[in-house]
Amino acid sequence: MSDWEPKIVSFLCNWCSYGAADLAGVSRMQYPPNIRVIRIPCAGRMSPKFALAALREGADAVWVSG
Amino acid sequence: MINFKLNGKKVQGEEGQYILQVAEKYDVEIPTLCHHKALEPAGMCRLCTVELFDGRRSRFVTACNYPIWKGMEVSTNTESVIQGRKLIVEMLLARCPEVPVIRKLADEYGIDQPRFKTEDDDCILCGLCTRICEKMGNSAITLTGRGIDMKVDTPFHIQTDVCLACGACASLCPTGHITLDRIKSLITKNENVKPIPSEYDMGLMGRKPVYVPYAQAVPNTPAIDRDFCVHFKTGGCQICTEFCGVDAIDHKMEDEIIELDVGSIILAPGFESFDPSKFDSYNYANHPNVITSMEMERILSASGPSEGHLVRQSDHKEPKKIAWFQCVGSRDMNRCDNSYCSSVCCMYAIKEAVIAKEHAGDDLDCTIFYMDMRTHGKDFERFYDNAKEQGIRFIRSRVHTIDPVSGSDDLSVRYVTEDGKLDTESFDMIVLSIGLQTSPETIELAGKLGVELTPGNFCKTDTFEPVETSKKGIYVCGAFQGPKDIPQSVVDASAAASAAGEILSEARNTKTKIAEVIPETNVIGDRPRIGVFVCRCGINIAGVVDVPSVAEYAAELPYVEYTTDNLYSCSQDTQETMTQIIKQKNLNRVVVAACTPKTHEPLFQETLINAGLNKYLFEMCNIRNHDSWVHKNDPDLATEKARDLVRMAVSKVALMQPLKEAELEVNQTAIVIGGGISGMTSARSLANQGFETHLIEKGNQLGGQAVNIFKTAAGDDVQKKLNALVKEVDNNKKINVHLNSEITQVEGFVGNFKSTLKADDKEETIEYGIAVIATGASSYKPTEYSYGKDQRILTSLELDRKFIEKDKSLKNISSAVFIQCVGSREPDRPYCSRVCCTHSIDNALELKKMNPDMNIYILYRDIRTYGEREYIYREAREKGIIFIRYSLDQKPELSLNKDRIIINATDHILGRPVEIEADLVTLASAIIPNKGEALARFFKVPINDDGFFVEKHAKLGPSEFATDGVFLCGLAHYPKPIDESVSQGRAAASRAVTLLARKNIFTSGTIAATAPMHCSSCGVCVSICPYSAPSFTEEGPFTGKAEINPLLCKGCGLCVASCRSGAIHLNGFDNDQIFEQIFNVM
Amino acid sequence: MLGYIDKIKKISKRLLQESRVDMVIGFRKGTMPMMNEPCFIKNPDDVDTLVWDSHCGINLANYLTNRKEKIGIIAKGCDSRNIVTHIIENKISRDQLVIIGVPCKGMVDKRKVSSKIEEEIQDTSEKDSQIIVKTRAGETALDKAEVLQDNCLTCIHRNPAIYDELAADLVEEQKDIDRYEDTHTIEAMSSEEKWKYFEDLLAPCIRCYACKNACPLCYCPTCFVDESKPQWVGKSQDTTDIRTFHFLRAFHCAGRCTDCGACERACPVGINMRVFTKKLEKDCLDQFGWEAGLSLDDRPPLDTYRPDDPENFIK
Repeated sequence: MSDWEPKIVSFLCNWCSYGAADLAGVSRMQYPPNIRVIRIPCAGRMSPKFALAALREGADAVWVSG
Repeated sequence: MINFKLNGKKVQGEEGQYILQVAEKYDVEIPTLCHHKALEPAGMCRLCTVELFDGRRSRFVTACNYPIWKGMEVSTNTESVIQGRKLIVEMLLARCPEVPVIRKLADEYGIDQPRFKTEDDDCILCGLCTRICEKMGNSAITLTGRGIDMKVDTPFHIQTDVCLACGACASLCPTGHITLDRIKSLITKNENVKPIPSEYDMGLMGRKPVYVPYAQAVPNTPAIDRDFCVHFKTGGCQICTEFCGVDAIDHKMEDEIIELDVGSIILAPGFESFDPSKFDSYNYANHPNVITSMEMERILSASGPSEGHLVRQSDHKEPKKIAWFQCVGSRDMNRCDNSYCSSVCCMYAIKEAVIAKEHAGDDLDCTIFYMDMRTHGKDFERFYDNAKEQGIRFIRSRVHTIDPVSGSDDLSVRYVTEDGKLDTESFDMIVLSIGLQTSPETIELAGKLGVELTPGNFCKTDTFEPVETSKKGIYVCGAFQGPKDIPQSVVDASAAASAAGEILSEARNTKTKIAEVIPETNVIGDRPRIGVFVCRCGINIAGVVDVPSVAEYAAELPYVEYTTDNLYSCSQDTQETMTQIIKQKNLNRVVVAACTPKTHEPLFQETLINAGLNKYLFEMCNIRNHDSWVHKNDPDLATEKARDLVRMAVSKVALMQPLKEAELEVNQTAIVIGGGISGMTSARSLANQGFETHLIEKGNQLGGQAVNIFKTAAGDDVQKKLNALVKEVDNNKKINVHLNSEITQVEGFVGNFKSTLKADDKEETIEYGIAVIATGASSYKPTEYSYGKDQRILTSLELDRKFIEKDKSLKNISSAVFIQCVGSREPDRPYCSRVCCTHSIDNALELKKMNPDMNIYILYRDIRTYGEREYIYREAREKGIIFIRYSLDQKPELSLNKDRIIINATDHILGRPVEIEADLVTLASAIIPNKGEALARFFKVPINDDGFFVEKHAKLGPSEFATDGVFLCGLAHYPKPIDESVSQGRAAASRAVTLLARKNIFTSGTIAATAPMHCSSCGVCVSICPYSAPSFTEEGPFTGKAEINPLLCKGCGLCVASCRSGAIHLNGFDNDQIFEQIFNVM
Repeated sequence: MLGYIDKIKKISKRLLQESRVDMVIGFRKGTMPMMNEPCFIKNPDDVDTLVWDSHCGINLANYLTNRKEKIGIIAKGCDSRNIVTHIIENKISRDQLVIIGVPCKGMVDKRKVSSKIEEEIQDTSEKDSQIIVKTRAGETALDKAEVLQDNCLTCIHRNPAIYDELAADLVEEQKDIDRYEDTHTIEAMSSEEKWKYFEDLLAPCIRCYACKNACPLCYCPTCFVDESKPQWVGKSQDTTDIRTFHFLRAFHCAGRCTDCGACERACPVGINMRVFTKKLEKDCLDQFGWEAGLSLDDRPPLDTYRPDDPENFIK
């Protein structure tokens, strides 16, 4: 299990967190490549169904930020 | 092309390339210590030795400088090559046993201890430094001596002025032998050996001579700093041109003079922050832990030198105690010439203290040393109260000296507490809250333009025309007009734009170009044909992500018809190529894997439009900001992530449908509700810009609160100027003034409002495109201090009335008392009314002018004469007006004793009770907003706990509402003096004109829509939408089901996520599209 | 509670006779013991069919969805709260309804009764605070408090929240009870324990959807479990799909559920899916001070947008 890497599906609000992730890139902040970003127009768009679907599809964690 | 074999595989290289270059291309790793892409290879370290078979025999050559030739066979990893390298590493290790990079190599080759005698050198004589120095055009250093005496040195071992201390050698040195210190002590005569201070990071970090000023800079292209670029000094280097993939660098570019023919000029040169170096006693220049507030901003910033981790500069320790010193370079005639208040420092110091605690934890001790706490902005007083609750200490004391604590990096300060005791305390860090001042360059510019300045070197303006300079046609905004914070600067900016717009309204649309419309191809029902364009972004993406393999991978995905990779997808020529490809390959969906859609989506959507595709048949995936830039050290995983992201985008785009953007005609009429100063200014500005305007006033005259005001702090006769403004409004043919009128109903939305206007008993309907709310405020009628029980106890406005009416009895008063904060800054009304300090002082001075012998007392909590209003505070003290401070828990007491008015307070300096007998008491009563609930409901705009309207954005949208087409100005927003009301009136007009000037507005395509068959009419969407977009259908087969007004919908998806019945779809972010992305994550 | 029925009949008869309503929705004796069933009385002469005892647990609000008639409805505390929710959510309008409020003392859980009696139960009756169970072997008296539905044990809204007529005097509400004892227990578990707990809890589920069909909150034209584009949840007996169904059902009830117990009562395999809805009910109370169905003026917290919503969960 030592080389196990989690898969994280993240739902980021277009206006804040997605932009923040952009800025993290611009600032060259390094972080592990385990997340896959899905851009949503607002954290309010997030539905529990998406979280459950991601977990069902095999994600180890779901991260909603907005 | 030259074909040869590398490790048994056929490879290709170009004529003139060396083995190492080709190996790099094929991902064959060859170790080297002396190679750099920008320099001619020298074969110095021998580590890149490979085995070459020329058909007859094998021999060893250095890969970095051996040119390739047809048919050669190169092996990089044979046993003998490895043994040879091992020996080289062993010898290097013997020479430099402490150098990390050599130690690492030794570990790789399994060498524990060298068999040779060890030395303690740290130079491996790779020659990178000497070669780069030569490339820089200097040759200040070279390899001197021979054999074992060889070393890097200057000629004759003398420090040289040939060396420019550019630092190129230090940046390339692989072992750390050459450092800036070494350059300073052994190589250069140049005194200034340090990294180029980054302006953005306030010198806390270095930057390069080729740089982007800061991450969000616009334009975001790098610039070359001529002052530091070595090329401009020696003619050498130009390495940047060799590396730039698009030949964008031209060192021969010259400054150009461009002449522009303009009708108006707006000055927005900003301010410079005060340099506290000249305050010797603060030790700012000498002690690293005394910093400015601007430096503190960078330290607290996530993009700052310590990535938001709060550490002090001297030893990078986390501070436990920080102090802020207010008024550094402000309100100071003693140590500097800035006698004005900089307006913003109190608030930013509190903000920094709060954020510092957020970053460092609650244990951090934050102390703010101040004179008067000036939190006069909207919601600032609450922030101040909260900061006190969070344990931030506020000490009213101006500290003279900061002493370093010997034996540590701490700082000691001595200060006098409010009760007169001398205290000594030490801090880990001290932040100087530096003030704002106009830069010498701006003063020079003003001189050239002939624009007059104030005593504080700000641009001189009139209270009633706060953005007009002394020169017609030249306007001003921001901190050059006077020290101010962001919201006020934004208000000014809009106001200046509006002022310029007024004089240029005839020229509007005379320089407009109309774009050619390309007919849209109908793709509905067609099988998706997806084109995937993977961007290299120079080396930004391709340097980490294997772009060709991502493109290859994309080609295998369902519905993908075409893939390619571009060097720069956003470049003009690539855009044209993409347009051609879309047409040729008959693509109907496009994915661009590149940077962020937040900046580049509109550009690529334009490309789609040019290719005849609906712009929503597009999806971007972010393999730069979210991938290559943040996973630099993990190219394999970054490539895998890029593939995943492309797969997700392809799966989504296949489900994208062409979307329509509804078009709406804008009714070019405006209404302004409220006929006070801000409302009238707004109406005048709208009318002067050519728009029919209804000005609605519920009272029987125009003028609002200004009718009651005598004069301004700048000395303007308010009644005179007000009458002129009223006249101007009355005479303006485009303004319809409705007195005694009220709005009783509002229907519609941006561009098409419809209202019922009730005047007396008559009702009329008006239609308009935008509305400005300027409903104002009024004076609080005090219940305290025996107000109403004695005619000599007045509110500020009642005293003004006496001045206006030239009441002679005022002259005979022998003792006048002003009591501040009556009804403001109280638990029930926790805001500062902003204008009262200035107002009372101004009136006190007026009384003093009438009768210089009059005793005048101002009882206050903090004097808030922000900006250049500070001058009258000074004048008042000079003229003998006595200021007595009181606190909220020890308010002055007023008693009526027969016909005497007695006021008891405690003198804050003597700490003794004082008794004052007054002939006149003026209560600086609070400004309370007029009731706006009905309008708030009509226009769906919010009101805060204090009753003021809530603007779109506290900083960036102060004069508009989140609801499109509704704007805000004046006291209805927050208490403010006349000049700021005028500015905001114009600002609201300016924001409104951005809509009115467009004849049509388009909605976004990415909005929600209902499927009425699935709707259960539960009303969640109607209730939850912040923009009131959903409503129940009123007629037809789907009566009672929800529908969404596309003009009001902002596409946030709140309703979609909240709809239990799954009846709402969000175009562009629909459930099936997001699900498809989720399914394709893994 | 036995005395209520005469009043209920009287009121119902009057309402029907005066044509104030087109029908009265109430309970009649079921074909099985302890299983009273809902009935629609349209004729004033039929009111004698109506019954009222401790076996009227079914939530009658369920039968109001999208009705067009004028309806008299018998409402316990929980029914009345669901009627409020129905009105707020436009499932029925207030003026269509005459609500006959019935102050409730708790409904009997027939499973609890059965578990205490070994033989087949033929009939039951009530006397004071006892349930008399009749089997072939004879009669057994059970303390009613011991066989109440779990949700009734922790109910603090026994009296109807809204009513036009009352079938009896209001009863005293239960005090000093820990309504969320079970929720606290689960919250205190470690992740592993929770996982095990929920795994065991949902293991018997056969996805018959009885819980959702019994729930007055489930009235969408197409339920998410039946949608195919997108397919929110798979149709299989896969444990993930079963969990997804239960979680989503619970989320749809957040801020609306009155803990009437209809779901648990309907479940043929005895799953206590109320643990999900109760957790959300507790969260709504903690975070928004909200309890469903108490006011016609306010929408549930998850239906409203407020920029100043509590956001303590954001770290």
